[in-house]
Amino acid sequence: MRLAPLAAVVLLSVAACAPSSTSSSALSPSQSQDKVTLSVWGWGPEENFDKMFAAYEKLNPGIDVDARSFTTATEYDTILATGLAGDSGPDLAWLRAGPKLQPLVEAGRLLPLEAADIPGLKDYDEGVLRSAKGDKDGKVYGVPFAVQTLQVIYNKKIFADHGISPPRTWADMIAAAEKLKAKEIIPFAFGGKDDWMLPIVAGVFGTANWGGDAFLDEVRAKTKKFTDPAFVEGIDQLNKLRPYFPDDMTGVSYTDAQILFSSGKAAMFPGGLWELNFFTENAEGIELGVFTPPAPKGGQGLMPGFTDGSYGVSAKTKYKAEALKFAAWLASKDYGQLYTDTLRVFSAVPGVTPTDPLLKEVSTTFDQQGATYFMNEFAYGNPSSQTVFSKALQEMLLGRITAQQAAERLDQSVATWL
Amino acid sequence: MALSTTRRGSSYLFLIPAFLLYSVFVIYPLFTGLSYSVFTWKGTLRDTFAGFANYAALLTESFLDQLLPALGHNFLLFAGTMLVQNTLGLAFALALSRARRGKRLLQTMFALPYLVNPLVIGYLWTLLLSPTFGPVNALLSGAGMDGLAMPWLGDPATALPTVIVIMTWQWVGFPMLLFSAALGGIPQEYAEAARTDGAGSSQVFWRITLPLLRPAMGTITILSFIGSMNTFALVYALGGSNGAPAGATDVLGLLFYRAAFASGDVNAMGTSSSLAVLMFTFIFGSTLLLQRVLRRKA
Repeated sequence: MRLAPLAAVVLLSVAACAPSSTSSSALSPSQSQDKVTLSVWGWGPEENFDKMFAAYEKLNPGIDVDARSFTTATEYDTILATGLAGDSGPDLAWLRAGPKLQPLVEAGRLLPLEAADIPGLKDYDEGVLRSAKGDKDGKVYGVPFAVQTLQVIYNKKIFADHGISPPRTWADMIAAAEKLKAKEIIPFAFGGKDDWMLPIVAGVFGTANWGGDAFLDEVRAKTKKFTDPAFVEGIDQLNKLRPYFPDDMTGVSYTDAQILFSSGKAAMFPGGLWELNFFTENAEGIELGVFTPPAPKGGQGLMPGFTDGSYGVSAKTKYKAEALKFAAWLASKDYGQLYTDTLRVFSAVPGVTPTDPLLKEVSTTFDQQGATYFMNEFAYGNPSSQTVFSKALQEMLLGRITAQQAAERLDQSVATWL
Repeated sequence: MALSTTRRGSSYLFLIPAFLLYSVFVIYPLFTGLSYSVFTWKGTLRDTFAGFANYAALLTESFLDQLLPALGHNFLLFAGTMLVQNTLGLAFALALSRARRGKRLLQTMFALPYLVNPLVIGYLWTLLLSPTFGPVNALLSGAGMDGLAMPWLGDPATALPTVIVIMTWQWVGFPMLLFSAALGGIPQEYAEAARTDGAGSSQVFWRITLPLLRPAMGTITILSFIGSMNTFALVYALGGSNGAPAGATDVLGLLFYRAAFASGDVNAMGTSSSLAVLMFTFIFGSTLLLQRVLRRKA
């Protein structure tokens, strides 16, 4: 009997620990003075969001856009999946492109976007929009925000000091690399330890070999395979360029490679356009240039690119009309311009020209020599074909397998889901 | 009588909070994991009952190609831990038991890395071992040992041994403390009596000290086994989620991480849960078996 009050205390304290419905609703957007708060989740620096969305708040005094950024990129997917499943999720969110978008689509967490609500969508390039579509239903689930391109970034001063200009032929590029190597400058800062970089660099140097979109379409249609000689030759370029990568490259991490370039020990960095931001901040005083490696068999090279992500609208949003109106603005040129100028990457909005001269240059090249980055299109499956191929390329660079065998691994992995 | 029953009653009562926490954070997730593994998933939405389909998917070639080497690496880590870390731990404990001064200080120093998060340790060691900027290779080549200045974590032949060395560096304090405690529990008289009978130091160690350390060894073996099978944070920090280079440091924990978070597979939840259940069953079963074998010997 004497235990009863004690037991009640224990039970009460347990009940207090349990999540209550009142506390979670307090977290969701509140309507104060008839102002609607739209919450937006994404990755990357939060101040960038605040800067961009302030423009929208000015245009729409009744709307308050509350941006929340999660810097840890890999955890973001889990955080978002949980958020959208519960009641405390965002109204809009940055979505991954392609394969990683599908789990959210199939769980019905996102609103399909119609051109009636978001007029800007109809102007988008089909290739850009595809990465924001559900694979099964073909509906659009996001407003694409960024396009990333892959190329070689170079240090203009080192090039000038050694009388090198951006190569017009493959032979020029090799000659330049030889020249730099003789002067004990690492030609290409490229680490093979973090294997996610490997397909990217294979894309930079190899896309011209297999010829971009036409080849990928044939693989998708199963009329060609990744074991095609053109593809094998393309990834084999990494083996041929091996002497111009850092010593012990399989032990060199991605960060090491970035530092090699930003400290001026290496002259070129093959990688994504997103590196510009890092190098501008960390390689002060280094003037940056970009070029696309010429085709090994002569002629212009191809610049691979991909859509980086999109803005989706939660199926659970309480302010559907407001969220869609905001999404429509995100598909507008106004936002596109703001995005490219704030973040210094390409906006996915069609017809936006970057103000930054370097970006402008890349943009012109991409318009003329653009191609689809192969890996993002073929990253499905579990284990993902991207993981399988990254590892295969690493083994290739370690000399354990040939380019042909690496291509076979990719082919086998793709065959499990295509 | 009456008093003791109330006592027992109230002692159960005090167990309730701990038991509730244990249920919520251990038992409940275990069973939900089990239930997740027999369903097909659409992202975070449970779809249809799948039976053993998720388990069957784990046994397909593309998965087994990664599962078996990963399991092999877990076993190599266990062997390395036993041979290097625990032997060294015992050696340190013995040396410290004879130390007259600074015992406490040395004990604390050896055990210190064990208090640091494995992710931090992994990150520090990747910096130390970097072939471009790392001080380890700079020291080695500075000392004229150019042959040893190599990409320790970038070569599949040296990557896993390097992981074992780093693990030892972090964890050696743990077997050392356990062995120290066990050594302290062995009465001095045994050794004295043996010496009077003419036994040398090595005889005392092999015939008296070591057999009496068996219970401690059993505990350490089991904990090392569980630790090596569940390892994740350190290998993740050293070789990334794919177990670089070329999968040489891939372990079950990383495979699970990739299956759950890195694939973009719509059914990732089902596949990864079934892998988790398999891992749990395997580790639990092996531990029970190991415990029985060790107990029988002791």
